[in-house]
Amino acid sequence: MKPGLSGHPSLVDVAPMARQSALKLWLSRLEGPQTMGRGRGFWTGFALVVLAAAAYPQFADGWTVGNTAYFLVWTFMALGLSVIWGYAGALSFGQTAFFGLAGYAYGVLTINFGAAYGFTLIALVLSVGVAALLALVLGYFMFYGRVTGVFIGIVTLAVTLVFQAFMAQTAGPEWAIGKARLNGFNGMSGMPPLTIPWPGGEIMLYADVALYYVLLGLVVLVYLGLRMLLNAPFGNVLVAIRENPDRAEMLGYEVRRYQLLAFILGGALAGLSGVLYTAWGQYITPSSMSITAAALPVIWVAFGGRKDITATLIGTLIVIAVYQSLTIYGSQYAIVVMGTVLVLTVLFAPEGIVLSAAKRVSRLFGKGRGK
Amino acid sequence: MMILQTSGLCKRFGGVHVARNIDFGIEKGEIHCLIGPNGAGKSSLFRLILGAHAPDAGTIRFKGEDVTRTPSFARIRKGMSVKFQVPGIFKDLSVRQNLVISFQHHLHGHDLEATIRRVLGFTGLTGLEDQLAGTLSHGRQQWLEIGMAVGVEPSLLLLDEPTAGMSPEETRQTGEMLRELNAQGVTILAVEHDMSFVQQIADRVTVLHFGEIFAQGSVAEIISHPGVAEIYLGASDDE
Amino acid sequence: MFATAFSFLYQFGDAFAFLVIASMGLAIIFGMMGVINLAHGEFITCGAYVTATLAQKGLPLPLAILGGAACAGIIGMILEITIIRRLYHRPLDSIVATWGISMIATQGVLIVLGSTMQGVGTPLGSFSVGGYSYSTYRLVLMAIAVLLLLGLYLLFYHTRFGVIARATIQLPRMARATGVDTSRIYTLTFGLGAALAGLAGGLYAPTMTLVPTMGSTFIVESFVTVVIGGGDIFMGAAPAAAILAVIRAGMTAWQGQLFGQIGLLLTVIVVIRLMPGGLSGWLLRGRK
Repeated sequence: MKPGLSGHPSLVDVAPMARQSALKLWLSRLEGPQTMGRGRGFWTGFALVVLAAAAYPQFADGWTVGNTAYFLVWTFMALGLSVIWGYAGALSFGQTAFFGLAGYAYGVLTINFGAAYGFTLIALVLSVGVAALLALVLGYFMFYGRVTGVFIGIVTLAVTLVFQAFMAQTAGPEWAIGKARLNGFNGMSGMPPLTIPWPGGEIMLYADVALYYVLLGLVVLVYLGLRMLLNAPFGNVLVAIRENPDRAEMLGYEVRRYQLLAFILGGALAGLSGVLYTAWGQYITPSSMSITAAALPVIWVAFGGRKDITATLIGTLIVIAVYQSLTIYGSQYAIVVMGTVLVLTVLFAPEGIVLSAAKRVSRLFGKGRGK
Repeated sequence: MMILQTSGLCKRFGGVHVARNIDFGIEKGEIHCLIGPNGAGKSSLFRLILGAHAPDAGTIRFKGEDVTRTPSFARIRKGMSVKFQVPGIFKDLSVRQNLVISFQHHLHGHDLEATIRRVLGFTGLTGLEDQLAGTLSHGRQQWLEIGMAVGVEPSLLLLDEPTAGMSPEETRQTGEMLRELNAQGVTILAVEHDMSFVQQIADRVTVLHFGEIFAQGSVAEIISHPGVAEIYLGASDDE
Repeated sequence: MFATAFSFLYQFGDAFAFLVIASMGLAIIFGMMGVINLAHGEFITCGAYVTATLAQKGLPLPLAILGGAACAGIIGMILEITIIRRLYHRPLDSIVATWGISMIATQGVLIVLGSTMQGVGTPLGSFSVGGYSYSTYRLVLMAIAVLLLLGLYLLFYHTRFGVIARATIQLPRMARATGVDTSRIYTLTFGLGAALAGLAGGLYAPTMTLVPTMGSTFIVESFVTVVIGGGDIFMGAAPAAAILAVIRAGMTAWQGQLFGQIGLLLTVIVVIRLMPGGLSGWLLRGRK
């Protein structure tokens, strides 16, 4: 196929075409090169899964549903790590710092100002904002300091561990913000759950069916939102930076700004998980930022497949479910299994187990269609 | 009119002067080749122009504007465009993705699609848009990168050894491609090794030697310049 | 006056010794192989536990410490051969894999040996200056830190192993072409880093409570030393340790140990912004 050199239009003139409407444009980005799954088959499957998840509380008791809601709480942190690590190529070990900070912020805000007039929802937004702000500051120093590769991992991990050590020593009564005692190693408790103001009585979202539906809705919303964002020009730049940051710079992109934005997005999503976790169980402790806790998001995302948010989402739910059922035998055994999963995934399926499996399946189908 | 102009440009690494007081300009509309023996400072000058290195002294003006302290990405935004010696493509992304990433800050929607189609045709990659860029042949990877550099018509196209590793036939085709781009109004600066390729494309040639400008002129003037052959022969010993 | 000066000097020396001893193993593995070993803390734990066990069996403490280092070194070499070796071309994956190893090791120790272990007492007693009493053993640790740096310098610049190791790290292909068994060098280097971590654990075993997570008390300090220091031990990690020791000693004297750590971390975060490439990058600038 030799380059055609004559008889084709000039590179310069571009025929003006009608612009797509913005909504149509964004909807078209639900599918694209940065996300697995396209076409009628995929979306039918997606709809069926969402329907099944929506129908599930009809077949289970409130306590079990509340427990399932707990699984969903973590998915935001995992999706955020997928964006930072899988798409932007910057390995952050500090997601739980944002998680913990937002959790504590929610506690401090709601213990001081209560839950009336939907304030818990404002507290949610503010707490996520606080996590995003930490990500902005930390990310600014790292990315504008041209920190790369493994150093991002160890700086973020060091921040997390020091933050944990700091919170663990706040046992004394002098460590209080307003009415909220930080309470050292035992952590903060007694904050109200998320509360939705409603005509005829507020809806308190205890770990029960109502909270499950809110979380399910949020997961679907965030997942679809991320799909659109990652297939938008922003997502294209992120993967370009992951593949070759120098080249991305030489195509006119300010690499560190994009990395910082991805880091803030990931930090905010981890913060969202932190707030939801705190509201779900009405407590938050420093151990949610321990080195083991910090490893868990890395395991979920590595297992699922960091370069794809669908794989990450599925992998996260699988690993959390396995982890939960193993803790029946003792959490230290569960952690040994998690460590083993991580080592084996890195050695034998560096793309992630869910993503590798999905690619194999789609190749089979592709052949079947004679593609 | 000069599109790019450097004055008094100096850069040293350790004790080595890779650029010494370089006053250098590119006329709008020309194809300018930068030649010189190994270690003459061609790549360093190239990187200084791009902003990959900061000069120790001197200034760089692009389209009349001082860009000496402007970071690389912003120079690109102002209308520079670059193709590297080792293909600077995203190997694990599809051909199409490579092109989208290269054009998306100027073009959207149908304009983007139209440009991609045109560039695919121009570079002979039509039908290969879903292939991973890393699986293309070496020559096609080079063309893809040229396509990435020219899809959004740049004011100044910078090429570092555009024909490195190409077969004679591929080299000839690349030369035609550059000539055609030039005819459409793209100014080109190419660092080049291959003298026959320089003869094929260049309007003007600058010879660098030990970080300094040794000679400058038309292809014919450079070829007949007695000193140029000498420095090439002299340098060929340690190659 | 003298007492205050001595007190600060002692604090500084103590912090310097801790930073050097805690980070050497991590710095060698990173500097030589580009791998950040997140199981660094667990090698420290291993050294401490083995040291305590041997000391309780009646072995003199110095020998017990060497035993701890040797044990960590051997485990390190085994891990290098079985796992790390496969990941050299994937540095981000190697850090993740060592994290998995770290989790398995910490929890494994917890399951097998329980949540605490009987320690060894701090030897050599104490002395007092100006009314404050100081531990003699910590003075010994300061001397050991300096000797350790000296020993590593001699090892890397004045022995055959050192020359070959540096050549392997800088020009692996060239080294292979001249008949060097590069994979053996990697194994030995990783083993050396692990042994140094074990040594750190052994040396500090008499000063702390032995728990499975004790390694994690070392890692923040070793991380920051390596981040500031960069890849070069002598031009990076050692001077970084000296600078950080001043900050840590000052902050610790002022507000306590946790604030020493926070001070270190903030220093690191500011320094990476101002000094990309770390201290060694800055010290070695212009050399190319």
